[in-house]
Amino acid sequence: MNLWRHEFRLLLRSKVAFGSLLLLALLGIASLLSGVQRIDSQRQAIERIAALQAEDAAAVAAAHADSTDAGSAAYYSFQPTWNPPAPLAFAAVGMRDVAPIMLRVRALGLEAQIHDGDAFNPELALAGRFDFAFLLTFLFPLFVIALMHDLRSSEVESGRERLLRSLPLRMSGLYLRRTVVRMVMLWLCVAVPFTLVAVLQAVPVLQIIAVLSLAAAYLAFWTLVCLLLARRAWNSGVNAAVLASVWVVIALIAPAMANVGIERAIPVQQGAAIARAQREAVNHAWDIPREQTMRKFYARYPEWKDSAALGSGFHYKWYLAFHQNGDDDVAALAAEYRDGIERRSAAAARLGWVLPPVGLQVALTRMAGTDMQAHLAYQDRIRTYHGQLRHYFYQYLFTDREFHQRDHEQVPQFEPAP
Amino acid sequence: MSVLVSVMGNELRALLRQRTALAGIVLMALLSITATVVSLHHMQAAAEQRARQQAAAQADFDAQPDRHPHRVVHYGHFVYRLPAALAAFDPGVDPFTGSSMFLEGHRQNTANFGDVMQSSILTRFGQLTPAFVLQVLAPLVLAFLGHGLVAQERERGTLRQLLLQGASRRSILGGKLAALLVVAAVFLLPAFIGLAWLAVGAAGALPVALMVMGGYALYLAVCCLLVTAVSALLPRRRDALLALIGGWALMALLVPRIAPDLAYALFPLPDRLHNEVGIARDLRALGDSHDPADPHFAQFRQQVLERYGVQRIEDLPVNYKGLLAVEGERLTSSLFNRYAQHSAAIQGQQNRLVAGFAALSPVLAIRQLSMAAAATDLQAHLAFLDQAERHRYRIVQQLNQMQADDVSYADDTAKDAGADQRKRVDSAHWQQIPRFAFQPLDTRSVLRALLSPLLILAGWLLAALLLLGMASRRLGVAR
Repeated sequence: MNLWRHEFRLLLRSKVAFGSLLLLALLGIASLLSGVQRIDSQRQAIERIAALQAEDAAAVAAAHADSTDAGSAAYYSFQPTWNPPAPLAFAAVGMRDVAPIMLRVRALGLEAQIHDGDAFNPELALAGRFDFAFLLTFLFPLFVIALMHDLRSSEVESGRERLLRSLPLRMSGLYLRRTVVRMVMLWLCVAVPFTLVAVLQAVPVLQIIAVLSLAAAYLAFWTLVCLLLARRAWNSGVNAAVLASVWVVIALIAPAMANVGIERAIPVQQGAAIARAQREAVNHAWDIPREQTMRKFYARYPEWKDSAALGSGFHYKWYLAFHQNGDDDVAALAAEYRDGIERRSAAAARLGWVLPPVGLQVALTRMAGTDMQAHLAYQDRIRTYHGQLRHYFYQYLFTDREFHQRDHEQVPQFEPAP
Repeated sequence: MSVLVSVMGNELRALLRQRTALAGIVLMALLSITATVVSLHHMQAAAEQRARQQAAAQADFDAQPDRHPHRVVHYGHFVYRLPAALAAFDPGVDPFTGSSMFLEGHRQNTANFGDVMQSSILTRFGQLTPAFVLQVLAPLVLAFLGHGLVAQERERGTLRQLLLQGASRRSILGGKLAALLVVAAVFLLPAFIGLAWLAVGAAGALPVALMVMGGYALYLAVCCLLVTAVSALLPRRRDALLALIGGWALMALLVPRIAPDLAYALFPLPDRLHNEVGIARDLRALGDSHDPADPHFAQFRQQVLERYGVQRIEDLPVNYKGLLAVEGERLTSSLFNRYAQHSAAIQGQQNRLVAGFAALSPVLAIRQLSMAAAATDLQAHLAFLDQAERHRYRIVQQLNQMQADDVSYADDTAKDAGADQRKRVDSAHWQQIPRFAFQPLDTRSVLRALLSPLLILAGWLLAALLLLGMASRRLGVAR
């Protein structure tokens, strides 16, 4: 036990080691605070929705107070949807930086609405966030290298190893202790601040344990790389240079190369083509007999087929029917588009098994609910909700029921993920 | 001078003899070539794709049958931003912004379908482009290759020998620096050839490309100076390497991320939902064209009647509904523009704050210079949004005017069975609608935008020279 304590003291007495550990802890805290700040501002934006929506809905209802047409209510009233952050989101902001976290929809064609983005400054998004995931993925290994690269070589260079070898003690035990002490200190520097913030942010215990284990596994990987290279018995300078090169290749170059490969291997049809196809389908309805539109709609939605025939005047059920037809016409394209994005994400996740930095990012953003999967899941919820919204208005339109002020209050509300 | 040359020659020979160093140089050059080729190919494919989509959208628009002009207002139009001449060198914000936009009446849409929304998380690791290679990777490789330039001589004791033989400190450091600069030039070469190739075909791109080359040369020169100075200042080779890697992590990774986070926190950008509700609120305050009692539109109607000297809307020689649409669009568009300007102003504030951090990291300065030159920065994106909005306004108003002139009020308000056909105007009209072609910023203003980052880089060069001068004075002083 004494030997262990001695190792701790030795480590902390070194100015470089102590400074590095302190810097790591400080950067860890800064990254956590930065992530919390970002996610908090998103939470506040989501909290503001209710008041904004109430104001807007009241104004829309008042503006069309004299109308009992459910169609005009469907046309003019937007409903909010939002994607609340998971408790862990502060640790890995991921896609929440660029993907919309709230979107208003109305009961018209969804394909023309669901791909709208939110306002963001693209130059700020370019470099990515300074969050815990970044610290752990990119900076943490550099600290591991700084502390581990001369584990053995410094002893050799100072001539101490020869002296130690002459003593009756096991060298492997010494280096093992030294390695473990450094690993523990490095791990603590990120684990303690993270755990504190995670507890404050009410992150589930299992997730905290998972993140801490991931950090430990990632640390073990980089320690292993350092130890493997130490066997080649280069001097400290060469060790550091080689280790840093390995880091550059694994953390920066390989993922960038892989990205090129994945984008080539899995082409995704440009989303704008879907939007164009949907527009064609929707607007075409104005140029064909209206009965044709209704027949197509009733064939797919027989529950409304007993609705009264169209008169000579405008009827919103025809309007909403061709919007529905437009969405249905491009449903296959939209599914293909989504599938392509999903396959790209899956390919990146598979790559994570080979490239630990990618694996770590994938795992962290998955747990934090901030990856592409999470965004697609949000889009799925929007689709489900939009279906309910349509159904609600169809009930009035296809049975010619009057739509009154109080019916605005009965409009289905979006339910975010549990 | 001859000492300088021979020191440089020796250093280069040593680099070439050392297997790891040679491997580093070759790999870096290969990476630079790969990035250039990949990026050229990617942008070319994107440019072709967008041009095809634009042509298809135009064909769709022109092929519309006879329609009521207001239908066409809602049918809308798609516009695409074709990448600028140098975009392949530095795609900048292009993968984040999306390059297409749907233009329609009464609504201002966002540009969407950016690459980042249709690819994996790997996009966020940094993209393999010449700019990324030169901005982020090249300085690190220079640190690997150059950290021992002076420190190693000191460790081996050969530095003292050199000084005793009468070599001046200045020529020793100068020679070492020159050797590192030669290596940096090797890294720059493939990207510069790619850049020149891009610039030759495009009008006005050559002076911009030359400025970019100058900027990158300045940037890597700063890196070489800093590496040599640190190598001369720190007693041991390993310390120099650790300090350089630390400095690199700070400048290339940390500051470029911390600065935007600060900008986000200090200058929050209103979200879209917030803006939409705000626009609707302001619009209600301006007036409701559907409400006959609305004061703004009552006054508008009175003015129209007076202008034509008639008593009733039905007696007007033009279709009042068309005039109303023109007026309504004018009001909504003025609001859209106000909100867009507000948003652009905040983003400008954010970017200025980030630009201030270039004093801590030359990476920010070169990034700004590079994106501005490639016309892939926020400014270029906002220019696209602005031109798209102007185009949207022009075609919508032209269609509204068409409704006023070519559809009679009687037909427009009729509800009989044949009314639908009478309301339509001839499809030949769609050909008269102007076409969208994104006008890139003119060369002069691009060059002007490059000036401030260039000055910052020059400042860095000065600071690095001073540091090297300090290192030179302390060189060989026993401690």
